[in-house]
Amino acid sequence: MSIVAIGLSHRTAPVTLRERFAFDHARIPATLQVLRDSRIVDEAVILSTCNRVEIYAATSLEPAQAFAELYQFLITTHDYRDPINDEIYRLAEPHSVEHLFKVASGLDSMVLGETEILGQLKQAYDLALKHNHTGGRLNKAFQKAFNVAKHIRTDTNIQRGSISVGSVAVELAEKIFTTLTDRNVLVIGAGDTSEKTARSLLSRGAKSIIVTNRSHDKAVALATELGGRAVRFDDWASEFADIDIAISSTSAPDYVIDRVKLAPLMKLRKNRPLLLIDIAVPRDIEPEVNLMENVYVYNIDDLQAIAADYLKQRQKEIAHCEQIIIEKVRELLARRWPGATAAT
Amino acid sequence: MTWFTDRHLFLLAVLLYGASTAYSVSLWRKGFREDNRINYFLLLAGFCLHITAMGLRGFSLKHCPVNNLFEATMFVGWAIVTAYLIIGLVARLRFLGAFVSPVLFFLGVFALMPALDPPHGPKPEFSGAGVSVHAALILQAYGAFGLSAVAGLMYLIQEHNLKFNKLQAMLSLLPPLQRLDVITFRLLRNGFLLLTLGLGIGTVVLEKHGGEYFTDVKVLWSILVWALYLALLIMRVKFSRGGRRFAWGAVIVFAFLLLTFWGSTLLSPIHHQ
Repeated sequence: MSIVAIGLSHRTAPVTLRERFAFDHARIPATLQVLRDSRIVDEAVILSTCNRVEIYAATSLEPAQAFAELYQFLITTHDYRDPINDEIYRLAEPHSVEHLFKVASGLDSMVLGETEILGQLKQAYDLALKHNHTGGRLNKAFQKAFNVAKHIRTDTNIQRGSISVGSVAVELAEKIFTTLTDRNVLVIGAGDTSEKTARSLLSRGAKSIIVTNRSHDKAVALATELGGRAVRFDDWASEFADIDIAISSTSAPDYVIDRVKLAPLMKLRKNRPLLLIDIAVPRDIEPEVNLMENVYVYNIDDLQAIAADYLKQRQKEIAHCEQIIIEKVRELLARRWPGATAAT
Repeated sequence: MTWFTDRHLFLLAVLLYGASTAYSVSLWRKGFREDNRINYFLLLAGFCLHITAMGLRGFSLKHCPVNNLFEATMFVGWAIVTAYLIIGLVARLRFLGAFVSPVLFFLGVFALMPALDPPHGPKPEFSGAGVSVHAALILQAYGAFGLSAVAGLMYLIQEHNLKFNKLQAMLSLLPPLQRLDVITFRLLRNGFLLLTLGLGIGTVVLEKHGGEYFTDVKVLWSILVWALYLALLIMRVKFSRGGRRFAWGAVIVFAFLLLTFWGSTLLSPIHHQ
């Protein structure tokens, strides 16, 4: 009996196809039962997320035969009739186990090294385990996958650093302020990226959000959504005395914040540190503002450069992580599998 | 075992501080992400030799060993390394060793210069508990000022990186700027209180002996150092001038203190016996 994996992911299939093959979570236990009743597999786990749909199975069939049957099962279950082939991958041992370990470690994720997938994989496994669709082989393989993911997370740099603009902004704020819980955030311009950045700061405990926009209605709408308050665009400077972080993303052709305007406001703030995040193009904040004492300006290029560098560092770690995975898979497969107590 | 003296022990301690400094160079280059336990244990080993050297000197003198520049500098170094070893018990603050070890190494090399450790005369002009407390408080104040300068230096590095070397700032393990600013301020304030107390006790001791000592170079120098630190504190508390200027102030005044301490002591008849 060996472990096989079949499925499609963001690497092989567009979202239109992935959503066609997605499994309804409530129906997964029943689907697993149908799959096992068909005698194609002895054990199975279905992982269905927005980025991947995969079946991990332990089967006594030859891999080629198992893949043909599982492929047919996928097509039939989702009543899919259009041509499809390369989008679905089929992996036999040891690649199937390697793939499972990579997925658990976030190495196969769209955001390299992310950890959400590990939680989703655990949920998928727990669901199958709870309904007795796993046995000795998959139990060992999944437990090992979770251990390997933990090992990779703690012993390599694959998850180090932030790779989105919002999380880089949060990390920057944490380099300046002792804590984010007492921080007041001003959002100038109700754009999508500034909203995401504000949400990231709120998720880390920022105390309050003030939104301002040329269209006051938009400011009110975003402020309501973020649980903050809106101020008129002409009045935002009056809020500066209490602000610690400002995110600016207006479509103004000229600078919204410049040195001349900021200097008296800094005196009002008693020179407390001020983090200015400029995600507008053209820029909203005069670059020379960064030379002012206790003011730290980051524009979209700075944030993206930091995110890109982190990503580069993560990518450098891939080879190291893959080496760990290959060794762990070899270790797992070299051991005698316990007498497969196939699920009943 | 007269060939192996307290100075030899202290030399070994300084060599360990030197090893720690060399190791710290790699930590600085790698953004403090390396395991700092090695640095911590190097400084701990140095501390053990350091305190043994001070103990030997103290037992031989039968009083607190702060009677010449060698002893005083050794005492300041001891105050700094002790504070670091306590702070370093918290793993995430252990990286501070990378900043502390160069200061200790510099102080150690300075202290070991032979001219700073002349043989003690048969009887110091001033002695007794008051003098020991005066010297110990002031030297502890210098230790606090030293650590404050270290924190200020960290602030300046991180502040510069956050403005101009942004990725390096993100990779660094240095604490947030606000925390460094507060640490610099608190150490400096505590050092100032110790210095004030130490100088106050010194004044009482001098008055007991009678005479006019306010023209003594070291006394004038001490008043200048006290005034400089007072000015820094006023700048910070009264005029909200924290951040970069305060950090520069902490570093510059401590550098001035280090560079002029020996000269003022040598020129002072009541401190250089």
